[in-house]
Amino acid sequence: MAIINQATKELQVKIVYYGPALGGKTTNLVQVHDHVQTAQGNKGKLVSLATSSDRTLFFDFLPIEAMAIKGFKTKFQLYTVPGQVIYNTTRQLVLRGVDGIVFVADSQYDKMEENVKSFSNLEENLRSLNLNLPDIPYVVQYNKRDLPSAAPIEYMEFLLNNRDVQVPTFQASANKCDGVFETLNMITRLLLHKFLNESNRNRRAA
Amino acid sequence: MATLPQLIEEDISEINRALQELLLKSDASIALLIDKGGFLITQCGDYNAFDTVTLSALSAASFAATQGIAGLVNEINFSSVYQQGEGFSMLVLNVDEYSLLTVIFKSRISVGAVKYFAASTLHELSAQMKIAYERDPENGLDLSMLNMANAAPVFTKKKKKVA
Repeated sequence: MAIINQATKELQVKIVYYGPALGGKTTNLVQVHDHVQTAQGNKGKLVSLATSSDRTLFFDFLPIEAMAIKGFKTKFQLYTVPGQVIYNTTRQLVLRGVDGIVFVADSQYDKMEENVKSFSNLEENLRSLNLNLPDIPYVVQYNKRDLPSAAPIEYMEFLLNNRDVQVPTFQASANKCDGVFETLNMITRLLLHKFLNESNRNRRAA
Repeated sequence: MATLPQLIEEDISEINRALQELLLKSDASIALLIDKGGFLITQCGDYNAFDTVTLSALSAASFAATQGIAGLVNEINFSSVYQQGEGFSMLVLNVDEYSLLTVIFKSRISVGAVKYFAASTLHELSAQMKIAYERDPENGLDLSMLNMANAAPVFTKKKKKVA
């Protein structure tokens, strides 16, 4: 859960990029790291705990400080999880303390089963941490839209965004940085809205 | 997942005082109080010499991984993680349900000494966190000053340079 430090006027939030293996989660972080417009010193190093073949082993981590929002320094910590099925324990560790989730789906037709399984795995892992997906702000990104084998959006919506409450979805080609910032800004916005609503509710109850 | 309480100036100054005292007694280089999710809460010592934000994220992850290992060897938990280096060593200690204490110290300093002095620090830190939590356990967020009517995106992409 986000940290509010009234003493230093800081708000720290954790966003986790989740999804099947080789879906583009790390690419999203690399693109944010390479292209984000920040004041000097507000972007940390992109740390990748990866294998020698650049597959995520534990997680990727990118800290960024966004502009101050009404006097609060807002610090975002972006994480990815390893997508491979065998690393489930690691995914559970990374989800600890999560505030918002970006589900990065692979648009290729032959990856649909992996997308669906990964989504179910996300729900299951959240439950193991006593969290429910509907209570957490999340968005879905349909990545690799530039590939010829990309499935129609309607089909992906049916598979991955077919719940009582539909969440914002974005088409992306993360390798070209298309859709990366749109996705990040939406999850950020959902998060800040949630915090503000909770704050208002608490004040009314007080 | 439990959440940290809202911390006010009094909490941070009390925590910093405890961390400073630990540094003074143990001669360690830096002491960080971090959240188990990987956030840096506060830091003391020569912290400009290290990337403490990343250090916090990685030491929380490392500690969490050892808890998984503890489960595999039928231990309820391992209460600390110690890594010995040639120049610096690191000790991560469990404070309470929400937070960890990470201490970086020169390798010539005995880990036993750091552990010994850290024992009372852990007690002080967990007591202060308890005070913060009991102050207002249900009302951890106060963001009434956020203005969500402002539709500007939080993150913007750098403009391409025109040749």
